[in-house]
Amino acid sequence: MTWEFHPLVKRVLDGELTLGDLPLELRPEAEEALRMLAALDRTPVTLSPGLDVRVMETVRRRAGSPATARESFRAVRVWRWISAPRDVEIRLRVRPWAVGALAAAAALVLLLLARPNATPRGAPAAPTAASAEGSVLVRFVLFAPRAHRVAIAGTFNQWDREATLLAPAGTTGVWTTTLALAPGQHQYAFVVDGERWVTDPAAPAVDDGFGRRNSVVAVPGARAL
Amino acid sequence: MVRAVLAGDVEQFAVLVRRYRDRYARYAAHMLGSADAAEDAIQDALIRAFDQLKQCREPDRFAGWFFLILRNRCFAERRRGLREPRPLEDAQQVATSSDGPDGAVERFERRSALARALHVLTPEQREVFVLKHVEGLAYEEIAQRTGTTVASLKMRMHRAYDRLRDELEEHR
Repeated sequence: MTWEFHPLVKRVLDGELTLGDLPLELRPEAEEALRMLAALDRTPVTLSPGLDVRVMETVRRRAGSPATARESFRAVRVWRWISAPRDVEIRLRVRPWAVGALAAAAALVLLLLARPNATPRGAPAAPTAASAEGSVLVRFVLFAPRAHRVAIAGTFNQWDREATLLAPAGTTGVWTTTLALAPGQHQYAFVVDGERWVTDPAAPAVDDGFGRRNSVVAVPGARAL
Repeated sequence: MVRAVLAGDVEQFAVLVRRYRDRYARYAAHMLGSADAAEDAIQDALIRAFDQLKQCREPDRFAGWFFLILRNRCFAERRRGLREPRPLEDAQQVATSSDGPDGAVERFERRSALARALHVLTPEQREVFVLKHVEGLAYEEIAQRTGTTVASLKMRMHRAYDRLRDELEEHR
């Protein structure tokens, strides 16, 4: 048996109604619900004074570490190399008919890339076509034959494991969804049966900074597709 | 302060640490089940904030940006927690007894039962419950902080109420 509060009682808990607004038969249930809330511990939590010292020690180490300095220096050198103007002389020796053939080949490639369904079906986390206002449709696929429910959570939905469900593709164990994502890099993971977090086996993954891995999809600008 | 740190004055980060270290401590403790876990999370989040400070596009809104880092840290920890069930003692640490002698045991038991029940909620349900009923925020404020709609938050909260009741009845 599952216990649920009456919708009006939930509104009392939300502060939208008072006990007096309820019919008499619902008041005992609402009183029980309010007792539940009253039991909540609201005591302020005090952290140890050493926290400041530990954080600042780490921060100073990172700010002044030779590794950091080396990385910054390398980054500056790379940026200078990229941004410095240079004289480039290109000398080409071509036959006129080859120029025509190359132009035709380039036109063909552009035509193929511009087709909405150019990407193979089933390729996970693959940008497939440009949609409205610069976002790009990205198809996510997971093979999970024993799953009852698969969702996707990521930076694009505030890691909400309930917001975006994948649909089963028949009875093959393949789950898919297509999302319109803004250009840029997005991190995500699949959530199987509401609690098992699974990285996308077909996508690159990065450390989430807290010891776990997130999958990554890089969405190019719609015009680049 | 954020701009000073970005300009290279690392020591100014200590001011940010002092200012924000306790602000979300109770939120983190309720999300993670203990003050110790909250302290670890806040320490990690502060260091991460320093590492990524250049990405703080609006230095005047450091608090909201830092909250999102801490939130991600708490959610990541909760994911780990689902794989490695947390021992009961940890769940009870949040329910520190600040009661007086009258009915202290009963209140402590009720508080502990609720703290345990909170662990069955999803991190999203738990978060909205904590922000509203512990931190006292309105749905609109929670929506602003977490980038979610009020309707979605209410749905989560109402599911949380039912799940808590179910859990508390089951262990009564």
